[in-house]
Amino acid sequence: MLTITDVSKSFNRKLALDAVSLHVQKGEIYGLLGPNGAGKTTLIRIINQIIEADRGTLRFDGKLMSNEHLRLIGYLPEERGLYKSMGVLEQLVFLAQLRGMSKENAVKNANFWLEKLEINDWSKKRIEELSKGMAQKVQFIVALVHEPDLLILDEPLSGFDPLNVELILNELKSLKSQGKTIILSTHNMRSVEEICDRAALIHHSKKLVEDSVWNLRAAQKSGEFSIRFSGNMIAFANALWTDFELIDKKELGDNRFLAVVKMRGNNQINDLLNALMGQIKIEAVEERIPTMQEVFMNLISGKEVENA
Amino acid sequence: MRSSWLIAIRELKERFSNGTFLWMMVLGPLCFLLFLFFLFKSGDEGKKSLKVLIADPAGLMDNKIVSSEGKNVNYYFIGDYLEIEEFRDGKAYQNFDALIEVNEKVLMNKKSFVFYRENPSADVKMQLKFQLERRVEEVMIENFTNLSVDQFRQIKQPLNVDFRNVYDPKNEASDLEGYVGLVFGFLIVLFVLLFGMTILRSTTKEKSNRIVEVILASVKPYQLMLGKITGIGLAALIQIFVWTFFIAIGLIVFRQYIFPDMFDPSNWEGIQVSAEVQQQLMETNSAERYNQFVDLIYERINFGFMFVHFLFFFIAAYYFYGAFFSTIGSIAGTESDGQQFVLPIVIILGLSVYLGFLAVVVPDATIVKYASLIPFTAPVVMMVKLAQGLPIGSYYLVILSLLILVVSTIILLWLAGKIYKNGILQFGHRAKVKNIIQGLKSK
Repeated sequence: MLTITDVSKSFNRKLALDAVSLHVQKGEIYGLLGPNGAGKTTLIRIINQIIEADRGTLRFDGKLMSNEHLRLIGYLPEERGLYKSMGVLEQLVFLAQLRGMSKENAVKNANFWLEKLEINDWSKKRIEELSKGMAQKVQFIVALVHEPDLLILDEPLSGFDPLNVELILNELKSLKSQGKTIILSTHNMRSVEEICDRAALIHHSKKLVEDSVWNLRAAQKSGEFSIRFSGNMIAFANALWTDFELIDKKELGDNRFLAVVKMRGNNQINDLLNALMGQIKIEAVEERIPTMQEVFMNLISGKEVENA
Repeated sequence: MRSSWLIAIRELKERFSNGTFLWMMVLGPLCFLLFLFFLFKSGDEGKKSLKVLIADPAGLMDNKIVSSEGKNVNYYFIGDYLEIEEFRDGKAYQNFDALIEVNEKVLMNKKSFVFYRENPSADVKMQLKFQLERRVEEVMIENFTNLSVDQFRQIKQPLNVDFRNVYDPKNEASDLEGYVGLVFGFLIVLFVLLFGMTILRSTTKEKSNRIVEVILASVKPYQLMLGKITGIGLAALIQIFVWTFFIAIGLIVFRQYIFPDMFDPSNWEGIQVSAEVQQQLMETNSAERYNQFVDLIYERINFGFMFVHFLFFFIAAYYFYGAFFSTIGSIAGTESDGQQFVLPIVIILGLSVYLGFLAVVVPDATIVKYASLIPFTAPVVMMVKLAQGLPIGSYYLVILSLLILVVSTIILLWLAGKIYKNGILQFGHRAKVKNIIQGLKSK
């Protein structure tokens, strides 16, 4: 869908993007991650042709990106902006028309989305009369009212209450099921885990990694398992002996515990289970996969150490 | 182009949703008509009938001084001295507007007093002085010379040296037409400044509420800038047309009910005008008509011609200066930040009005010739020149002036587009000249 190759951009001799290459596949939700100031917004602006790259190429469906592709892109910027004195519907229609849509279709689509996000009663109101949450919804509709194939959403969940966060996440899943491609730039790692298929991490103007979310998490596995059991903690610790390491333990009450264990040597989960059998009553065993938050932190801090 | 048009229409709608804009549509022409009304009224000053009592104990003036011009001063005579207090307070004299004291010493000391209740206009003072002088002159000729009055006046007549423009040997052009051109020029400056500030405000507002990023994801900065200038310009044009409509209606109403055309025989009905006076009116030279301002507005200005040229010069000037205002808006962090950069533009606009004034009073000055071609000042100066009437065969100068203005505007819009593109996405900073230079250097 979108192939970015060796894109670089600098502002007043300060490098904002350094030979970044990404590949966003059709129909996926792609997480664009990175700390503040990493270069994500610059990259997003380049994709939206708001600014031009100094070097590198962008291809949309295999073709070099041009103005014609702008109408196939929907954009929700991190810094929200709407005409405050303009009516909701009027504004949506105007912005959809700017993206090349006819007025009739723009009105139809705008009404559809206003109804879907339950703000159709406010369609005649001016933006300045809306609550922040409602204005956020209008901004979200602006990004997709013209039926784009590629949606670029910069922090789409900020400013929403938990109910509306669920609503937006469900809409994104629904859009994905309709074959839309979504680039999601966010600091909300829970949402990345929940809905992103793949992700890239940008740090200090460079791309650090790009892979599926599962692979990114799996790559950071450390062979730790959490085991919930009932029985004697001393018997549990004795059973581990020298082949396994007890990392953490927590008493749950009624002689029930949650322990975190790490393998030593070539031991596998089956070896652990064999060692524990008969000593305690195992209730649940789960391999500990790092959260995206941990992956993010590990990668960033790892890079910092490397740079130091 | 479609995108720029959509942006222009949105801007236009926003102006129409603004109460101030709508109020200006009504109040503007009303103020202008009020100004014209007082201007016309001032043209009537000194025309009202004045009753002047001449206290003439020596019988020098009695029935020998009559009002000859305009018949607005009527003389009455008293063959005795009259104390000033008596004239001021006496019931019998309350109907008189002024008292002229002419005693027998006037032939010696050449001194006479005019006591007035309301200070008469300069015209009336001149008229009184002229008529008194002539009468005293007649008496002195009779007493001290053997010449006839006609002979004396022939000798006394000074040499009349009349300066005439070689391109206007009949001296048809006058300052007054030039001033009408200056008013047109001033309106260009007024609208450029008012709506230029609107461009600046609108641009900084889009920056501060960040909608600009959404817009720029759909259109090029140049399209946004052009759409914005065009939309606000359309609002200005509509404002101008509405003003013109209301002012035209007002002028028609003035003509019909307040300042009728006394030279049109159809207006003589109901007014007692003697055949002699009618004859006089018909023969009167237009320059001597009863109210020079009314005459100027209704008879001497070709409004169709002026309005067409006004539109051309206004549109070109608006885009020319609009490029500056949008550039400032794009590099400014806030509206107030941008206002400091507006000062040079205001000075230039003020200078163009001054040069327009110079074109009225010294039409052939070299600086005026250059100013009529320089894009910054051409709109005002050329409006003055057009109103004064261009010498035959020199209309090409208007075309040349407009052409230079249009070409400069295109170049300026192109340069402004470069700066706009660079500045429009810079937030939270103060405008600096550095930003302009960076924009100009950008690709």
